[in-house]
Amino acid sequence: MNARAGDKDNSGACVDCLRRSWLLSALSAPLDCCARDRDRLMALLGLTDEQLIAAVGGRRKHELSAQYAAFAPDRLRRWRHVQALCHHRHGYPRLLSGPAAPHLLNVAGGTDRLQALAAGPVVALVGSRRASDYGMEMARSLARGLAASGVTVASGLAEGIALAAHTGALEGSGRPVAVLGSGLSTCPVARRPLLQQVMREGCAVSELPCECSGRRWGQLASQRTVVGLAALTVVVEAHDTLEDLAPAKIARALGRTVAAIPGRVTSPLSCGTNALLMDGANLLRGAQDALELLFGLDVAQTLAVAGANASTQSRAQGRARACDERTCALEPRLQRMLERVGAGNDTPQRLADERTDADEVLLALSELELMGLLSRGDGGRYVPCRPLAPATGPAC
Amino acid sequence: MLARAHAFTIDGLHTRHVAVEVDVRAGLPSFTIVGLADAAVREARERIGAAIRNSGYEFPTRRITANLAPGDVPKAGPGLDLAIACALLAASDQLRRERLDSVALFGELGLDGGVRPAHGTLAVAQATRRAGLAAIALAGEGAHEASLVEGLEVAVVEHLTSAVRVLSGGEADPLPSPRAVAGRVSCAGAAEPDLADVRGQHHAVNAIVIAAAGGHNCLLSGPPGTGKTMLAQRVASILPPLSRDEAIEVTRIQSLAGAPAQRLAQRRPFRAPHHSITAAGLVGGAQRGRLGEVVLAHNGVLFLDELSEFSRPTLEALRQPLEDGRVSIVRARHAAVYPTRFMLLGATNPCPCGYAGEGDRCGCSESEMARHRRRLSGPLLDRIDLLVNLQRTDASGLRERPLMSSRHARERVMRARERQAARLGQDGISANAHMDVRMLHAHVRLDERGEQMMLAAARRGLLSARAEHRVLRVARTIADLHASKRVRATDIGAALALRTDTGLARGGAQ
Repeated sequence: MNARAGDKDNSGACVDCLRRSWLLSALSAPLDCCARDRDRLMALLGLTDEQLIAAVGGRRKHELSAQYAAFAPDRLRRWRHVQALCHHRHGYPRLLSGPAAPHLLNVAGGTDRLQALAAGPVVALVGSRRASDYGMEMARSLARGLAASGVTVASGLAEGIALAAHTGALEGSGRPVAVLGSGLSTCPVARRPLLQQVMREGCAVSELPCECSGRRWGQLASQRTVVGLAALTVVVEAHDTLEDLAPAKIARALGRTVAAIPGRVTSPLSCGTNALLMDGANLLRGAQDALELLFGLDVAQTLAVAGANASTQSRAQGRARACDERTCALEPRLQRMLERVGAGNDTPQRLADERTDADEVLLALSELELMGLLSRGDGGRYVPCRPLAPATGPAC
Repeated sequence: MLARAHAFTIDGLHTRHVAVEVDVRAGLPSFTIVGLADAAVREARERIGAAIRNSGYEFPTRRITANLAPGDVPKAGPGLDLAIACALLAASDQLRRERLDSVALFGELGLDGGVRPAHGTLAVAQATRRAGLAAIALAGEGAHEASLVEGLEVAVVEHLTSAVRVLSGGEADPLPSPRAVAGRVSCAGAAEPDLADVRGQHHAVNAIVIAAAGGHNCLLSGPPGTGKTMLAQRVASILPPLSRDEAIEVTRIQSLAGAPAQRLAQRRPFRAPHHSITAAGLVGGAQRGRLGEVVLAHNGVLFLDELSEFSRPTLEALRQPLEDGRVSIVRARHAAVYPTRFMLLGATNPCPCGYAGEGDRCGCSESEMARHRRRLSGPLLDRIDLLVNLQRTDASGLRERPLMSSRHARERVMRARERQAARLGQDGISANAHMDVRMLHAHVRLDERGEQMMLAAARRGLLSARAEHRVLRVARTIADLHASKRVRATDIGAALALRTDTGLARGGAQ
């Protein structure tokens, strides 16, 4: 067929898939209207091109059909750093399958790199856009730990948890994969520096043409790609809303493992995650638990088999060891302080009591902050940066 | 005939000598005032005419010209009435001119000939002294204020006839007792708020004491009702008392702004303008000679409540006053430089709804938070050394003993200031907040652990160079409060906990 004939050029995508991508951007507005309901969106994305035009084309049906028939790949603007990869090609992420999976991915950061990353272990970190300090910190430390262990972190590029996940992954010198709900060149200005960094270190991916602006349906659709790429989906913090819980639902539909990090039962910000746990999702306390879920109990051994890059791995292990040593070598007074902060006494006011001098409290807090064990959250409150060491004590 | 009297006009903080010349000659009856007089001076014609007639003198039905020299200085306010009237009486030979050359006249006339006080008495009295005049004649209400100037004779004239008597070499009216004046002039007599009223919030109280001790600008951040304003109002009470020179400056500024003083100002000014204030209102210059809030806060505290609600241009206008300790205002028709050495106190909510960090009460979205942060950050935050985060105290906190009283805090602050003055005196500054980089290197010696902490902070990228300087300044002040020569690790720890580039930002996930 004609489309197959076009295979020979270097674009990495066939005309059919390029046309599909164009069609989605052309139908962006009606899709946004029709797809308030997530299930309906998934159904729509599973349709063929003609069916899709018929379903949401409305009055522009015929006009769109004409344009569709006359489509030429040259009409899509080429971006130098973006490569297209369609699901007919070798190198398309194997896990990304299912009826509603994207036909084509626009990849910034290199299709080879995406192929390598998708072939290794991938964990999706998802959660609500408005997260608490606790959620942000957990997402960050989890991503840092996973990245340092050679596991790829995939997430969206929305505010909140997704942002913290990428920051953490980059801190752990990992190669994160960001899936955008808009075109790659229409990212909001505020998140552009992070996107640049992700593109340098890892990959940014979108199924829409580069200049397509973002809409709500795009965010929902991007979640199916995030979840699809990963063997394990971790919900870090989620409200009890359909939107926040959508990734978990998709993951279950795809038969992937779902895990969640517990939150306070009194907080509406963690209602969603707690409900997931109630429904039988795996409980995560940190990166270690995630690794156990991914590879079974013998983490260190499996990692070696997992085919992760040897240099990354040794570097990562070095980092992990350094982290552990930092926590273990803590003076008793600092350890006590860290525990008290973790227990909810997160302000100098609450920490100072009859036994401890106010100056001592501030000194200890600052020292812990300098060690990277505490950070500041909203209202200047101190937030622990990593989960508490197991009660058995510093066994490292 | 020609007669000349001395008077002064006020231009912002400064006074200018005005020679009032009145010429009475034959011609059609008229009364003209020349010499860049404003509306209040031109209206003096009516007041003077009535006052002269009602005091039993004769208003000459001839051609009267009053000239206010120098001709290029605009004259404002009604304070020139008395001088014009006396010169007019002298020019029409109804007044013996024994002392007309050596007495400055300052006051507004009523239609009955009574003399009323005008704004800026202290400034005028100082100018009189500087101009080498022996005495100043003014209304009884301003007499106490004028007598603050040493070596100046103050002649009280309650009525135009008294002025004529004084100028002819007679006795002045008796000085009214301060009590009688206080009855007429509203005098703030309320007890000063005390730090002991603050229950709980020990962390914030300590921070406020540090800010006062080093003269550091300080930002209080916390949910509504946590006592930000309460703390701020008590800062003036723990600052060291005004020195005599400072007190005269403050009294003079207050008197120019229209608050007659009975004695030298005792308290440091505390100005708290509403956030709807304009840039011109804040730095001055809305009208000629109108003082801005930054000038009125000179030697005291400028408190900006709800800092994030102030308009951007208003906050930008604060940069020069904060940086240079003075503000120079240039308008189309006038230019002036005012002193503005004040301590800036800001208060703000941590987010638009005010409840960030208070569990789930905060309903602000991430972008709203970002907007809020952007409003506060930037050049103004660069000039603020301390960020104090306040949190809600529970009921038991409100029953705690107060941490310290204002008297106790002020003693600590004064001792710390003495140490700073001894160290910084040769550099010409008196507080740690004003140390520049060179002085920081010279005066801030860290102990070994402190050095390590600063190194760790730099390695982790927690502090920019400027932020590091701020931390060192604050740490120096904390060491001064503890009477320590060296800056110890605990001082650095506390200074780091109070640094500004945190707390408003979310845990660094940006």
